[in-house]
Amino acid sequence: MRAADAAATAAQMAGLALAPLLPGGVQALKARLQGRRGPGVLQPYRELRRLWRRGTVDPEGSGAAYRWAPVAAAAALAVCVLVVPVGAWGTAWPAGHDALLLVGLLALARIAVALSAWDTGGGFGLMGASRELAFAVVGEALLVLVVLLAAIPAGSTDLRAMWEAGAGTGPWEDPARWCAALAMGLVVLLETGRQPIDNPDTHLELTMVHEGPLLEYAGRDLALLQWTAAARHWVVLVVAASLALPHPGDAAGGLAALALGVLALVGGLALVESWQAKMRLLRVPPTLLAGVAVALAGVVSAAWGAG
Amino acid sequence: MLVAGAGSIACGVALTGVRRAGIAVALLLQAAGTALVGAVGAVCLLDGRTVGAGFTSDLEPSLGVDPLSGLFLLLVALVAVPAALYAIPYLAGARRPRTLAALTGLFGLALAGVVTARDAVTFLALWEVMTLVPAAAILVARGDAPARRAVFEYLAVTRIGGAGVWVALLALAHHGALGDPAGLAAAGGGAQALVAVAGIVGFGTKAGLVPLHAWLPRAHPLAPSNVSAVMSGAMVSVALYGLARLLTGWPGGPPAWVGFTVLALGALSALTGILYAVFQADLKRLLAFSTIENAGIVTAALGAAALLEARGEARWAATALAAGLLHALAHALAKALLFLTAGSVERATGGLRIDAMGGLLGRMPATGGATLVGALALAGVPVLAGFASEWATLGALIELARADAVGTALAGALGAAALAATTGLAVVCFVALAGLALLGRPRGPGAAAATEVPGPMRWAPAALAAGCVALGVAPGPLMPALERLAPGGDGAEVAAGVGVPGASLPTLGAALALGGAAALLAVARGRRPRAAAPVWNCGQDAGRELAWTSAAFTKPLRLAFGGMLRPRRGVEVVARAGIVREIRHRGGVPHLFDSLLYGPTARAALAGAGAARRLQSGSIRQYIAALVGVVVLLLALARAGALG
Repeated sequence: MRAADAAATAAQMAGLALAPLLPGGVQALKARLQGRRGPGVLQPYRELRRLWRRGTVDPEGSGAAYRWAPVAAAAALAVCVLVVPVGAWGTAWPAGHDALLLVGLLALARIAVALSAWDTGGGFGLMGASRELAFAVVGEALLVLVVLLAAIPAGSTDLRAMWEAGAGTGPWEDPARWCAALAMGLVVLLETGRQPIDNPDTHLELTMVHEGPLLEYAGRDLALLQWTAAARHWVVLVVAASLALPHPGDAAGGLAALALGVLALVGGLALVESWQAKMRLLRVPPTLLAGVAVALAGVVSAAWGAG
Repeated sequence: MLVAGAGSIACGVALTGVRRAGIAVALLLQAAGTALVGAVGAVCLLDGRTVGAGFTSDLEPSLGVDPLSGLFLLLVALVAVPAALYAIPYLAGARRPRTLAALTGLFGLALAGVVTARDAVTFLALWEVMTLVPAAAILVARGDAPARRAVFEYLAVTRIGGAGVWVALLALAHHGALGDPAGLAAAGGGAQALVAVAGIVGFGTKAGLVPLHAWLPRAHPLAPSNVSAVMSGAMVSVALYGLARLLTGWPGGPPAWVGFTVLALGALSALTGILYAVFQADLKRLLAFSTIENAGIVTAALGAAALLEARGEARWAATALAAGLLHALAHALAKALLFLTAGSVERATGGLRIDAMGGLLGRMPATGGATLVGALALAGVPVLAGFASEWATLGALIELARADAVGTALAGALGAAALAATTGLAVVCFVALAGLALLGRPRGPGAAAATEVPGPMRWAPAALAAGCVALGVAPGPLMPALERLAPGGDGAEVAAGVGVPGASLPTLGAALALGGAAALLAVARGRRPRAAAPVWNCGQDAGRELAWTSAAFTKPLRLAFGGMLRPRRGVEVVARAGIVREIRHRGGVPHLFDSLLYGPTARAALAGAGAARRLQSGSIRQYIAALVGVVVLLLALARAGALG
C-alpha cells in the first residue's frame, strides 16, 4: 500500500472520531458571526464525555425498539462514515462505495429513531419523527437525483469513480453541475438538520424535527444519538465537497482540497444559519420539490450537451 | 417430479371432499406437492435447464418449464407452501373450512399451471381458473353484501384484463409467434402494437397497475388470509410473469414506446399505490395498496430493461430485469408474510383497524417479530429483501438517465426520482404500521387481551421472515441466474457500479459491517442502571386520549400532498345546554380514481346499457328486421372486399 493510500484510509477511519468537530465548528463560527463568544469547537466532545458518564432513563411502557434504536442508528452512520471515501484512494471495503448504499443507511437510521418514538408513544417524539419522515420522501428523491447527476460523467454510482470523474475540472464548466451543486446544498441542509429546514438548537418542542424523538433519551443512549447527528454532518459534507467542489486529481492535493472544501461548507452552514430564520414547516416540501425541478433541469442539460 | 407434485396437490384437493379425511392431511399433501413443484422450478432456474415442451402455437396441450417459468414456480411455492401450512389451524376457525381448503389447493395448482402452460389454450383456461378461484374463496368465506359487491367489481375489472390477455395470446398464436420470436418480427408494426397494448392492459390489470387497479384493494383484503397471501404474493407475480415473458420475447427488444409506457405505468403505480397505502386505516387494505406499489416497482424495472435493451446496453438490461425479478421475489415473501400475520392479528385482537392495535410485539412475540421483519423489508431497509432489488433498479434507471437522448434521459431521471420518493413513502407507511400495531402500549381492549396464535400460524410467517433476511443479506447467488434470463444476458459479468468482485450485490458486506458495528456499540454501551420515568407529554399522561393515531402521523404528508390527494375533513361539535360535550373529528383520504375515473365510466356504461335495452322490445318483427339488416350489411361488405 502506498503512503497516500494509507493516509486516505486513515482519514476515512478518522472520520469516526473527527465527526463531532463539524457541528462544533458550525456552532462556534455561528456564535462569532453573531457577535457572541459562544462555546468552543470542542464543545460536542465535552457533551459526549459528560453524557457517557450518566445513567439511562427508560420511559414507562417502552420496549426493545426504544432500547436498540440508538445502537442501530449509530451503527448505520458508522458504516456510512467508513463507506464514504475521502478522495479516490484508500482501501476498498467489501460493502462497496456505492452512493445508493448511503441513501439506504441514512434511511435506516431515520427508521430506527422513528420506531423508538412510536415505542415511547410521546407526542413530541412522534411529531418530530413524522415530520422528519415526511421531509425525507422528497429529500430521498433529491439525493438520488444528485447522485444521478454526478453519475452521468462518472458512468457509475460508485463514490470513488465520481470523485475521479470530477477531478481537474471546475464545477462552473458544466450547467448540469451547477444544478447538482444547488440540489446538493438543499440535501446538506436537510440531512444535517440545520436552519432553515430544522433547528438543532431548539428547545421549543413544537418546532422540533430531528430533536423531537431525542427528548426521552439520556446518558449513553443520548450520547450515541448525538454522535449519530455529528456523523451525518461528516457524511453529507464530505460527499458534498467531493461532488460539488473543484479538486485536483492527485492524492495529496485531493486530500487538501477536500479538507478545504469541508471547511468552506462548515463556514457556509454557519453563514446560512446566521442569516436565515427557520422556515415554516409547510414550506419545506415545496422548497425541496423546487430542488428536484432544478436537478431535472440538470439532467436535461446534460443529455442535451451529450446529444 | 412435476407430475408427482401436481398429483400430490390434486390429491390434497380431492381429499377435502372425503368426509372422513382431515383437512390437515389434505393441506399437508398440498404443501408437499407445491414444494415438489417449486423444487423443479428452482433446479430449472439455477441450472438454466428447460424441461418439457417449448412454446407452441398448436392446439395440442403442452406443459414445460424453462428458467423464467422456473423462477415463478419457485416463487409460487415459496408463497403457497407456508400459506397451506398456515391454513391448517387458520381454516379450523373459518366458515366452511373444507371448501376453502379445496380452493386453496386449486389456486396453487392454477398458478403453477399458468406458469408452465406452453400453448394458448391451456394458458387461457388456467388463467381464467386463477381468476375465478379467489372470487369463489371470498364468497365462501363471507357471503355478505359488501363481499358480493367486491367480487362483482373484481370480476368486472378482471374481465377487461382477461380480454386483453386473450387478444394478446391469440394474436401471437395467429402469427405463429408464440413459439419463435421471429414470427413477431415478421408480423409487422400493427400486429406488434396490438400484442403490446393488449398484453399491457391484460397483464397490467391482474398486476394492479394504475389506472386498472381499483379491484385489487377491494378484493385482496376480503379473502381469508391464507388466500390473500397467495393473491398478493403469487397471483400478482404471475401477472408480472406474463408481462416479463411478453417483453423479453421480443427479438432485439420491444419498440421504444412500449418501454416508455411500461416504465411510466410502473412508476405511476408505485407512487400512487404507496401514497394511498399511507392513509389506510385497515391493515389488509393497506397491504393491498402496497401490493400495487411493489407491482409498479417491478414493472418499472421491466420497462427500464426494455429501454436499455433497445439502446443496445445488454448488460444493464440484464441487471434491470434481474432487479425487477428479485423485487418480485422479495415482495412475494414479505407480502405473504404480512397477510398471514394480519390474519393472526385479526384472530387475536378481533379486528384489522390499525389504530386499535398496539403493543403486539410484547404480547405476540413470534407474530410481532415476523411482522416487523416484513414491514421493514417492504420499507426497503438495508439489508433485508427489497433493499438490494431497489438498489439495483435505481442503478439501472440511473444508467438510463445517462443516455444522450433527452427523452430517455428524462424518463430515467423521473423514474429514479419516483422510485426514491416511493421508498420514502413506504418508510412512512410501514413505520406507522409497525409503530401502531407492534410498539408502545395497547390501544384497544382487543389488543390488550391478545395472546399468541397456535403453532403453524407462528412458524409459517417465521419461515417467510427468515427468507426475507436471507434474500436481503445474500442475493448474490441468485443474481447471476436472474441475469441469465435476459435475452442478451450471459450472467458472466455484472454491470459496473452495482457489483464488486466476488458478490453480485455487496449487501453481505454491508450486513456484516452493520452487525459488527452494532455489536461493538452495544458492548461499549454496556449495562447501566436504568431509571423508569413517565414519558414527557407536558406533564400529562399519554393515555388513550393523547395517543397518536395513523392520521396524526401522516398529517405532514397529507398537508404536503393536499393539492393532489384532496383529503376530506369535518368537525362536529356536540353541544348540550350550551356546553360543548364532545368534538368529533372526521377525516379521510378518498380514493380519487373512484370519483374521477371509475364513477363516470360506470355511469357511462350503465347509460349505454340503458340505451341498448330499448332494442329489446319483445317485438319479433323488429328482431327479424335487425337480423336482415345485419346480413345485408355483411353481404355488402363482403362484396366490396372489405372483409378480406
